[in-house]
Amino acid sequence: MIVCTLCSCYPWEMLGLPPVWYKSAPYRSRAVKDPRGVLADFGVKLPKDTRIRVWDSTAETRFLVLPMRPPGTERWSEERLASLVTRDSMIGTGLAKRPEEVA
Amino acid sequence: MDGVHDMGGMDGFGAVEPEPNEPAFHAPWEGRVLAMQRAMGYAGAWQIDMSRFAQERLPPQVYLGVSYYQRWALAMEKNVVERGYAQADELAAGHALRPGRTLPRKLAPEAVAGLTRGSFYRQAQAPARFKPGDRVRARNIHPPTHTRLPRYARGRVGVVELVHGCHAFPDTVAIDKGDDPQWLYTVAFDGRELWGPDADPTLKVSIDAFEPYLEPA
Repeated sequence: MIVCTLCSCYPWEMLGLPPVWYKSAPYRSRAVKDPRGVLADFGVKLPKDTRIRVWDSTAETRFLVLPMRPPGTERWSEERLASLVTRDSMIGTGLAKRPEEVA
Repeated sequence: MDGVHDMGGMDGFGAVEPEPNEPAFHAPWEGRVLAMQRAMGYAGAWQIDMSRFAQERLPPQVYLGVSYYQRWALAMEKNVVERGYAQADELAAGHALRPGRTLPRKLAPEAVAGLTRGSFYRQAQAPARFKPGDRVRARNIHPPTHTRLPRYARGRVGVVELVHGCHAFPDTVAIDKGDDPQWLYTVAFDGRELWGPDADPTLKVSIDAFEPYLEPA
């Protein structure tokens, strides 16, 4: 999960302007301490043993998440896989879409 | 400075509220503020760390009480006045009342399409002190001016993961003391090191830390 606790640093060049929630106090304050709580606000529940890594963008380096490849996409082309990728999946507050969501 | 902007780990702000189909701007003036900020950046009126420091110096109740682009506008006004480009009575009047300081350069419409993000890499002044795998402690420092070391990491021990090269140092840039280039590292901390024994055992949090923020551990 990517956050900027000190202001609102975001990979603009890659993802465009950040959404309001990314720049908001609730997200900036909680992402580093309670990322599972933040995920719950997005309706995302991960298995308890899934390791969570939060990157606080405290300098001019910008980060984005490479979304996990969903099951059932083994022989998919790059183009079809790209259709599963969402902005939130690259911020780390959501998972990539499932194949049935884009079918 | 230990301001409200340094909010990592604070409680009480409530739930994150994603907005479905969010527009790029919620009002036309927000786009104008963004454009003005970019134009002043191009003009060399001030640097991004000076914008951040101006926001941090807003009174806490203002910082928390206004929207993101309002905060930008207020910080821009602060920098415009403090750096002598215009005076407060001119901002109130909405037009120039006297000749102000001249901008180093001006953004022309034909240059807008070619605007790119500036580079923060700088020539190293000395070899890097740390390497990936080194255990480091974030210093317990509380400068009253701008810093990019968040409070929640201060005094905590982490491990260097990445060396990003040498970068302009925000702490000096923000107060007009120049680039003072410093090595920049990604340092990862165990969640329990930051938040105590009740923290999520699967959590790891990293910050990007400039060398003066760190000491060997």
